[in-house]
Amino acid sequence: MPTTIIAVDRDGTRHSLVWDEDQTLMETLRDNDLPVLASCGGTASCATCHVYLEEPVAARLGERSADEAELLADAEGFRECGSRLSCQIGHDAAHDGILVELAPEG
Amino acid sequence: MRENIQTASPAVVIVGSGHAGVGVAAGLRSRGWEGRIVLIDAEGQLPYERPPLSKDLLVPGAPAEPVPMRKESWFESRGIERVHGTAASIDRGRREVRLADGRALHYVKLILATGSTPRRLTVPGADLDGVLMLKTLPDARRLAAELAPSSDTAQDAARHVVVIGAGYIGLEVAAAAAKHGCRVTVLEFQDRVMSRVTSEPVSRFFEGLHGRAGTEFRFGAAVTALEGTRSPDGAGRVEWVVTADGARHRADVVVAGIGVIPEQGLAADAGLEASDGILVDAGGRTSDPDIYAAGDATRFASLYDGASQRLECIQNARAQAEAIAADITGQAPPAPEVPWFWTVQHGVRLQTAGVRHPDDDVLLRGDPANGKFSVIYLRGGRVAAVDTVGSLADFNAGKKLVAQRATIDPSLAADPSLPLDQAIAPLEPAAL
Ligand SMILES: Cc1cc2nc3c(=O)[nH]c(=O)nc-3n(C[C@H](O)[C@H](O)[C@H](O)COP(=O)(O)OP(=O)(O)OC[C@H]3O[C@@H](n4cnc5c(N)ncnc54)[C@H](O)[C@@H]3O)c2cc1C
Ligand code: FES
Repeated sequence: MPTTIIAVDRDGTRHSLVWDEDQTLMETLRDNDLPVLASCGGTASCATCHVYLEEPVAARLGERSADEAELLADAEGFRECGSRLSCQIGHDAAHDGILVELAPEG
Repeated sequence: MRENIQTASPAVVIVGSGHAGVGVAAGLRSRGWEGRIVLIDAEGQLPYERPPLSKDLLVPGAPAEPVPMRKESWFESRGIERVHGTAASIDRGRREVRLADGRALHYVKLILATGSTPRRLTVPGADLDGVLMLKTLPDARRLAAELAPSSDTAQDAARHVVVIGAGYIGLEVAAAAAKHGCRVTVLEFQDRVMSRVTSEPVSRFFEGLHGRAGTEFRFGAAVTALEGTRSPDGAGRVEWVVTADGARHRADVVVAGIGVIPEQGLAADAGLEASDGILVDAGGRTSDPDIYAAGDATRFASLYDGASQRLECIQNARAQAEAIAADITGQAPPAPEVPWFWTVQHGVRLQTAGVRHPDDDVLLRGDPANGKFSVIYLRGGRVAAVDTVGSLADFNAGKKLVAQRATIDPSLAADPSLPLDQAIAPLEPAAL
């Protein structure tokens, strides 16, 4: 069973995407043409892959790494609960069906 | 005999599939370009991320495979054709790129994304085995194999690695070699590490970090020769690095990280303006309206102060690629972005927004002794660049200050307990 997710674009459009096992969430968004710059190639350096996750999903991921926390604290539209760097989220079948919303650019 | 690869539909031909080349291809498709896109590349493998070559891929227990820039299936599903070959010349009259093997490709727009090549050592002995550079995946694999102690000989356990050049790549290699238990010596012509890109406090901090891991530095060191025992056929392996002061440094492996040279040959031979980089404008346009260039291969005017510059970083390659994709598809250019860079050494990250000049005023924010601090570079009283060390908290704020050319109150900015953007001081109307 492929893992699918719902990605919500910045204009509110919803896209249903398949999340391949060998990709991070950022790669899945980027390779499906969502406007995720991912300038740093997924090394937690740029925050351009910032997304919002629903609370239970974010909780399942556990604590943010120090780099992730520092980068996000200052990012446009930061939310204490839900803001994550999508490049730091590896594939997990438990994430099937989750809603991922792109945070504003900036 | 020249064989033409299908010339029927209009093609954007891209030479080089590094970050710039793949970036143009991705940008064109996402902006609705429906014509052919052909990516020519000499490396002949799925385009991959370069930064990990000197970081994650070199340390013990490194993953065997590089991080692909995009999956194979992405190129296929987007109809982006990949051609393995070396572009040898451009016929601007016929709008053709010729490959070394004789094939020719017709273009409506041509993108030169040929990147850069590491500068080679020219001293005697530079041809000895064990003298390496780091640019490509095969380079990284060769180096990783040299750094890893093999089981055959006991002395392998403490291989002597001499790194020539204390820039980003040299230091990243030095850190990886130290992690492998190698005995590392870094030879640097200047009097401190990363002197081209950062200020004294940052240099000294990183020097200390490497020093505590056992790495030795020799500053003011000019390499004059590499020596090794040669067999009658001339082959041999490096054993010593000799410097101008007469010192001899034991070496099983030598890694040269002495800068890069932009790959401008194709452009220059075709009569495009090039001088230590293919000259382009903010839209990536060369002096031929049908030819663009992006990435390490280019030289252009800084958006900050108009100074002519080359930028060897991912951010620049991607930003230029986007500007070109927008131009070709007739869309508005993307908003300019502050250039930025990063390096990770012994697990500590240095991240820089903006481009510092050696004569900028330097403002220290926080205490290097804590392992977390920032340095703010002021030019004419305005924020021109920000280095963040060990913490990314100031990075995005710093980038914004650079973009705004903000003026700041130095005493507020020096206080790390205040957010950096609270140090913005009112603009003087008469200021530049
Ligand atoms: C080891 C290493 C680590 C780095 N780490 C960082 C980092 O942490 N952060 C950062 O911002 N930057 C880093 N950089 C720099 C960054 O990788 C470059 O700025 C970036 O790759 C430039 O992209 P590019 O597309 O212009 O060129 P390149 O990546 O150099 O790609 C050019 C491609 O063109 C091909 N080519 C050239 N000429 C021809 C021809 N005639 N025909 C066909 N193909 C041709 C080459 O084979 C090559 O594949 C690093 C570089 C290296 C080598
Ligand atoms: S892609 Fe840069 S932080 Fe995620």
